[in-house]
Amino acid sequence: MEFDLEDPLANFKEQQNYTISELFASETNHMPSPNCFNSTHCEAISLIFQVQLSCNLEPFVAYLAINYFNRFMSRQEIPQGKPWLIRLIVTSCLSLASKMNSTHLSFSNLQREGCKFDGESIQKMELVILGALDWRMRSITPFPFLHFFISLAEIKDQSLKERASEIIFNAHNEIKLLEYKPSTVAAASLIYASYELFPQQYSIMRDTITACKHIDQETLEKCVDLMQEMERNEVKGLMKDRRFLSNETSTKRQRI
Amino acid sequence: MRSENYPLHFSLFIYPTLFTPFSFFSLIPSYPIRHSISIPMEKYEKLEKVGEGTYGKVYKAKEISTGQIVALKKTRLEMDEEGVPPTALREVSLLQMLSQSLYIVRLLNVEHVDKTSKTTGSHTKPLLYLVFEYLDTDLKKFIDTFRKGVNPRPLPNSLVQSFLFQLCKGVAHCHSHGVLHRDLKPQNLLLDQPKGILKIADLGLGRAFTVPLKSYTHEIVTLWYRAPEVLLGSTTYSTGVDIWSVGCIFAEMVRRQALFPGDSEFQQLLNIFKLLGTPTEEQWPGVSSLRDWHVYPRWEPQNLARAVPSLGPDGVDLLSKMLKYNPAERISAKAALDHPYFDSLDKSQY
Repeated sequence: MEFDLEDPLANFKEQQNYTISELFASETNHMPSPNCFNSTHCEAISLIFQVQLSCNLEPFVAYLAINYFNRFMSRQEIPQGKPWLIRLIVTSCLSLASKMNSTHLSFSNLQREGCKFDGESIQKMELVILGALDWRMRSITPFPFLHFFISLAEIKDQSLKERASEIIFNAHNEIKLLEYKPSTVAAASLIYASYELFPQQYSIMRDTITACKHIDQETLEKCVDLMQEMERNEVKGLMKDRRFLSNETSTKRQRI
Repeated sequence: MRSENYPLHFSLFIYPTLFTPFSFFSLIPSYPIRHSISIPMEKYEKLEKVGEGTYGKVYKAKEISTGQIVALKKTRLEMDEEGVPPTALREVSLLQMLSQSLYIVRLLNVEHVDKTSKTTGSHTKPLLYLVFEYLDTDLKKFIDTFRKGVNPRPLPNSLVQSFLFQLCKGVAHCHSHGVLHRDLKPQNLLLDQPKGILKIADLGLGRAFTVPLKSYTHEIVTLWYRAPEVLLGSTTYSTGVDIWSVGCIFAEMVRRQALFPGDSEFQQLLNIFKLLGTPTEEQWPGVSSLRDWHVYPRWEPQNLARAVPSLGPDGVDLLSKMLKYNPAERISAKAALDHPYFDSLDKSQY
């Protein structure tokens, strides 16, 4: 059965409500432990994005690979000064994630992307990662919670989910946000996205989510603040780019 | 026993699954990783063959380092050139997730074994072994002790109720994860007798397609618990197939003998029809268009209560809902948990 990040428990439709409490109950099994991230994290993520771009991988595969990588690294001390080892781990995480998602990503494709390891090494590292993660490869991510909260708030607009997903993808690169539970990240991303897109529905969304017994309000607020900060930095970055662009066009115009 | 596969102390050549930085990284001094990353060690001592699961042999074994008794199940999942095969990955991770339930036999570990051929000395592809918790009784053996022996007596009603409740819980758990068991039978229900816990076992791998008629060793798979839609060749069956089996098991706990003991698919259907009546189109729309439907003698339904004389009216009602001909009308495992039959059960314990 193919693994769908939005539906990790592979529900039969009629069982939806039955499993949401199970999702809340087991989400912490699929989290990295905090304070385990260092420079290797950025290095690994950029390698994953590089492969995602060149092999045209779905964002979910990259997301899953990062999840495996983070969880593996938080269970494992990696000796410093072995950049090849990080690359091997990343390569194997990508391979596992693509297999879970039924995306075809052959070893030869990976090898072309600067992950020059022989098949046997990748296979062995796959097994090491599987062992370290106890074969819990059906990661519980924020995405199924997104679905759940949206159905609670009864907001039909698809753009809200799209924006929230985007925020969740961004949040995965933010070390500070990795310590939050997937459900909290989903809730915060929705609150933030509705604030941006539908200010009039923002309070409905906020009230619905905070009424949910599984969500700790104080933690949620902290998470929303961090997300806001993250998104502002992003916007600042974009604005800088635009200013640069507009300056350029204006100088061009002047020349004309 | 084929000794080339199973020497008495068979060795698992494994990579440590829970490893410390030392145990793992000291094995990889530098890139490239050498072939000998796996350390051969005798991790399990095989004690005896305890069963022939539908999908492979099951051994009772002892984990040497801890002395823990486990059930070891060899899968036919082989590594290929592209590493861990995607089907193995998806199914074992699903099994791992399911086994979080108290009512499903716990998957303790997954081992990969480099089997060395005794004759050629060459390495073949690593195989995956699943390591499960070991329980020494199953429901079949348990019922037998009440039927035979020096003191034949019925199972206490409260025990039947408790076992059925746990079975429904386990089945509901599987169904809520999109997994059908498809081969529920008393032999597959293991018991932790001291604690009174029932656990579903032999959740097979690679069950996405058909119900096997014969196991891989060509042993006949029992038909006694098989739903009529499967016997009639339906290809679109769903969760109802497991509920039918649960119903048959429920009746068997009460009767101490199987409800529908057929020795061929045809006999199996006739056994069912003789008790429940030959199904009609009104009762079960589409039944006569199923692949293996024939014209059968028209039996009238018998009183189900007479087949389970010691069961009270609530129990008979629940049983009749599990044995509905139309799979769409059969009660779901989750709904069964709320049936009045369980009203007298202290559910807080489960």
